[in-house]
Amino acid sequence: MEMIQIVGIGLLASILILVLKEQKPVFAFLLATATGILIFLFLIGKIGVILSTLEKVAASSGMESIYLKTVFKIIGISYIAEFGAQIVRDAGQESIASKIELAGKVLIMVLAVPIISIIIETVMKLLPA
Amino acid sequence: MDWLGGWLREIILVVLLAAFVELLLPSKSMERYARLVLSLLVLLTILSPIISLLKGDAVQELGLELSRQERSGGLFSGGKGQAESLEQILADGMKLAAGQQSRSLELAAAEVAGQMKDQITSETGERGAKVTVTLGMSRSASGGEEVPVISEVQVYLPPAAASGSAVPSEAPDAEDSEAIAIVPVEPVEVHIGTEPTSGGDAGAVSGPADEAAAAEAEAVIHLLENRWGLEPGVIRVTGNADSTSDKL
Repeated sequence: MEMIQIVGIGLLASILILVLKEQKPVFAFLLATATGILIFLFLIGKIGVILSTLEKVAASSGMESIYLKTVFKIIGISYIAEFGAQIVRDAGQESIASKIELAGKVLIMVLAVPIISIIIETVMKLLPA
Repeated sequence: MDWLGGWLREIILVVLLAAFVELLLPSKSMERYARLVLSLLVLLTILSPIISLLKGDAVQELGLELSRQERSGGLFSGGKGQAESLEQILADGMKLAAGQQSRSLELAAAEVAGQMKDQITSETGERGAKVTVTLGMSRSASGGEEVPVISEVQVYLPPAAASGSAVPSEAPDAEDSEAIAIVPVEPVEVHIGTEPTSGGDAGAVSGPADEAAAAEAEAVIHLLENRWGLEPGVIRVTGNADSTSDKL
């Protein structure tokens, strides 16, 4: 049912955007952005269900919560970066979109820095001096 | 074995989580990067025994690093970063101090257990008694400072020694022969409640050997209470290997 709703919203919005684009391209862009946000809001509850399930499983089995936190951050960064980049790309700003994606990639890599440093320090201690 | 099970469970969970998260990712362009971080996490989990052996608490360090990143992130957080940094440093210091405190408590507990064991050996002639001490922090009655207190003492008396308590340790041969004679001693567990002089649990004492073991346990409890000034409920004496094997 929700899938049909989402597809309906998408179809409606694209027809409206096609009409608007001839007259007012700016409003067409705004409409596209609003539709994107609406669909994203539809999905955010579902993503929340998935994440809370993961959290429950991890807590019940004694996994370190810091690992889960890192994983959630990865998901969040990639979703937000993807969403922003697509909106900007719709507006025709391909270069800014790729910069947003670059920022997402860099921030994900920053999350890896403490892990890499711990692993490398351990490996260096394992090696004979 | 318990440790191995926990480690395996953690590895399996992290791998499952990584596979699941890869499905959840929105686009192909992010996938390589996310996969790198996820595989690093899996590697960290697999290496965690080595890391804890060589380096200490890696998880805590990771948490500190992440919270530091969280606080220093963003273009517009430069103004209040200064004010927060002191709090952050203090919080980090508290976290590290808590970790050090727990380590030093463990060391002190091992030391206290060794001293108690020596005292038991010298005072009652028991050999092979195992002592486990748990230390906790609590506020002293006078000041607000937290001081370590002995929160639990577990004494395990081997059955042969406990049953041969009537014979002092000057006659080891006689004790050995008696110990063989009284091998089928029922496992006895003595729980000393708020009344340590009540003679132990009457229900658990069923034979002369058990009574001897109970008296021995009583003597050990009295000794430790007098020497260390402990509360009556703190000390538990067990004379059975099965009931203590999961604790030791």
